[in-house]
Order: sequence, then C-alpha cells, then structure tokens
Amino acid sequence: MQCSAPSLRMFKSSKVCTVLIDLSGTLHIEDYAIPGAVNALNRLRRKVNVKFVTNTTKESRRVLHERLHSLGFDIEKSEIFTSLSAARSYVDTHKIRPLLMLEKEAMEDFEGVGTSDPNAVVIGLAPSCFNYSKMNEAFRMLLDGSTLIGIHKARYLKKKDGLYLGPGPFVHALEYATGTQAVVLGKPEKAFFLEALQEFSCPPDQAVMIGDDVIDDVGGAQKCGMLGILVQTAFSWIPGKFCYRSLIPAVATPTYTAISTPTQL
Amino acid sequence: MATPMVAGWLKFAKEIEGIVLDIAGVLYDSGDGDGVPIPGSIEAVNRLKASGVPVRFCTNATETTRVNLVAKLNRIGFSLEPNEVFPPAPAVCQILKERGLRPHLLVADDCKPDLAGVEQHDPTCVVIGDAAHGFTYDSMNKAFQALMQMEKPLLISMGQGKYYLETDGLKLDCGPFMKALEYACSLEAEIVGKPSKTFFDAVLKDIGISSDKALMIGDDVVSDVGGAQACGMRALLVRTGKYRPTDEKHPTVTPDGVVDNLQQAVELFLSCRDK
Repeated sequence: MQCSAPSLRMFKSSKVCTVLIDLSGTLHIEDYAIPGAVNALNRLRRKVNVKFVTNTTKESRRVLHERLHSLGFDIEKSEIFTSLSAARSYVDTHKIRPLLMLEKEAMEDFEGVGTSDPNAVVIGLAPSCFNYSKMNEAFRMLLDGSTLIGIHKARYLKKKDGLYLGPGPFVHALEYATGTQAVVLGKPEKAFFLEALQEFSCPPDQAVMIGDDVIDDVGGAQKCGMLGILVQTAFSWIPGKFCYRSLIPAVATPTYTAISTPTQL
Repeated sequence: MATPMVAGWLKFAKEIEGIVLDIAGVLYDSGDGDGVPIPGSIEAVNRLKASGVPVRFCTNATETTRVNLVAKLNRIGFSLEPNEVFPPAPAVCQILKERGLRPHLLVADDCKPDLAGVEQHDPTCVVIGDAAHGFTYDSMNKAFQALMQMEKPLLISMGQGKYYLETDGLKLDCGPFMKALEYACSLEAEIVGKPSKTFFDAVLKDIGISSDKALMIGDDVVSDVGGAQACGMRALLVRTGKYRPTDEKHPTVTPDGVVDNLQQAVELFLSCRDK
C-alpha cells in the first residue's frame, strides 16, 4: 500500500477539524464493508468531526443507515447527508411541485411533498423511470416550462459486478433535448459541501473530503477550498479493461492519493 | 400564405438541378399505424417528379428498414422507390464493413436487417439509432458497459436529432440518448446521417450535381437546414412536423426560406421555373 505526494506528514499537521466521507466505494461497496474501514473510522472520530456525504439517491436515509449499521459502522442517521436531503430542502424552500423520477425506496424522503399538477421534474437514480415513456413525459413537461432538477449528475456508479449508468446521463439527455440546464444539487456542487460543513461551523480550508470519485468527491471539494483525498478502493473490483486512472489528469489532482481507505490515517 | 422570406429564395430557383426532401415532418407524420401524409405532400412530390427535376429523400429515421419505410409511405399514397431514399442504416453498414468494425446495436428491432451481414460478437463499437421504446435503462446500460470495455470506445449515432413529431405529439429522438452515452463515457459520437457532410455528399453524388445546385427542404432547422447549408446547399424550413416558431429565430442557422409546407414550396418553385 503506498501513498503518493504530497507527504503524509503535511496532511497530519494541518488544522483539520472536519472530515467528510463518501459512502459507496469508500466505506463500503453494496453489502460489503471495505476491509479496515470500520476501525479507521473509529480512530478518525477521536480527533475530528465526521459527516457522511453521499449522492446515493436509490435509497432513503433510513435504509442507508440500517445498511451501514449492519456492516458494523457506528453511525447516527443524523450524520448522513445525502443529495436526497439536499433535494428535499430545495423543493421545500422553492415550494416546488415535483414529478419525482425516483425509485420507491427513495420516495420516503419526500413524504409530505405535494406532487399534483407538477411544475418541475426531479431526477435521481431511477432505473425504472429511465424508459422511453417516462422520459417523454418529463421531456414534454420541460418543453412546457417546468424546471429540470438533477439530484446529482453522476456519470456512473460502481457495483460488485461492474459499472452502471448514474442519473447524470439521463439528466444530460433532457438538457440536450430541451436546450436547458438542470439545477444540480449533489456532489460536486459547492452548495452541497458547504451545507454539509455548516453544522460544525467549519471553514472549508479546515476540512477534508475523502472519496473514490475524482470528479465528484475530490474535484468538488477542492473547488470549495477543501483538501481532497482520493481512495482507489473500488479499482480492484472493476472487471474488464476499464482504466479509472485515465480520468484523473483531466479534472482534478487529488491532494493525496491512497490505495485503500482511511487505514493509513 | 407566402412570407417575405419566400421572394429571396425564388431568385435562385432556376439554378436548382436537384431537390432533397426530408421525410418525417415534410412528407408525413409517423405514428399511428403507417402514419398520416401531410396535406398536399403526395401531390407535391408527384408534381416535382413530373417536372423532371431529380428528387431524393434524405432521412435519419431508422425505426425500420429502407425497404419497409418505402413500402409504408407507398401504402399511404406516395410513389417512392428504395433507390431514391437515403436513410443512415445502409450507410452505417457500409462503414462497418469498410472499417472492419463489430457493432453492439442499440437500434429499433425493425432496423436490424439493414445492419445485417456484420459480426457482432466482441463489439468494437456501439451503433445507436431512434430505438424509441427500445431505450430502457437496461439497454442503455448494456451499450454503456460495452463502450467502457472497448480499448478505443466508438459510438456511431444515426443522426443527432433532439425530437420528432408523431401523430400523438413530440417524442425524443436518438440525439438525447446519444448525448447520455457521450456524457457517461466522456467521448464524442461519430454522426452518420444528417447533418454530416459525408451523408449529404453521397446524395448529391447520386444525383450527379454540385451542392450549389441543390435545394434541401426539411423540418429540422439544425440537421436539415443547417446541415445542408454547411455543405453549400440552399435549404428551406417547413412549418410542419417538429417545427417550432422559435426555429425561425435560431441563433446560428438562417434558412434560405421558410414556407408553410412542402406543397407551398413546390407551387412557388415550379411557378418560378415556368416563367
């Protein structure tokens, strides 16, 4: 296991008060805890504030919490900040009536939101909605003036058996079809990271983001002024010839690159 | 009702030695069953052909094979021959053979016979067309995974249209789904079909004229009008099919003329040449 420059010492001596940690691909992959992650997290908590930030939109916060708990992670539900939470907050603030393109398990986080006579399309990771009929329904609403809201625009996600399309490509498809730009709420949007840090009144230059996505986690955090640490945990899980590394130079240079998760911290 | 723009394009009507017509949105609206001819279009095509001006039909539609498309149009009243019609699938098939490519197909089932005769095992490219209900998360994901496993990911798209009009309203074309895969894989697709210059050039070569002697008539301001003009052709926009009023104020494309429909375009064109 090796860590690339800059040195570990520089990181350890900086005044870090909060660490944001991605979930899928960083602490766990589906129902598998990444080796060493549980202990690493416990050690981290003794020194800094910790919050879990995720773009996962397929499940509600309650379901996520239950899964992490069952994998041995000692986490409170209130410590989990998802892009769904950010979206619910946006919908409430702007008094939006959304057409929700979400899986059933995620709808729980939108309980109480009025959805009749919708004036916006809200898109999360929803394979059952990414079919021609539903996409056409959303397209026609957007042509009529509805707002397009992307809970996040992740290109793809990593599962045990390979890569799967995220919601980003489908949001992008509708942006192209209607000549509009979506309001995007999750990583790598600056507002998402700042809202996550707000609870600790922590300025971005005293915060670190640890994640496995060089664009959404590292790049997004760095644009806020945070340190960005890239983990390559999921790399070994990906079959085929896909080279994840090829993305790195194009967008962001991680402050610190690690082969496995917080174990080294 | 003629618009002020009509007078302008009529000035070059006598120089035109070949006409290229879009199909969906100009000749007919697809949808229910075989679709519905746009009023006046059948007669307009017949009059054009009778006048002796060479006519070709250039479409990005790939919901079925060329032969089936022609049969469908003839069933609703047109009189077309397959060798007058230029859809992208046969052109893609030729490209696949010339370059030794093996495709993963994300196209309408009925289009597949026009792409037959090429190996599909261990694909080296993805070919996408207007698959309509064939676009599901699962089919898009399979195409995505195929691309990500290629050493040199290649996406060939039969057109890049945003939407088209069917009898029950506007529907997403293959363009948005092509853009989805481009975004997912961080790549740029190769377009076969309008507005690609190669595609228009093949039609012009078939007629045997240079681009400045050709007139394109279509309902897609970018793919039909913009694409044809970029090749050096004149191009008219019709107010049928997918046309929307904002198309007349497009930021980058100014049609040589805007007409209500094909019938009006042909009436004006022929009456001008008769003078």
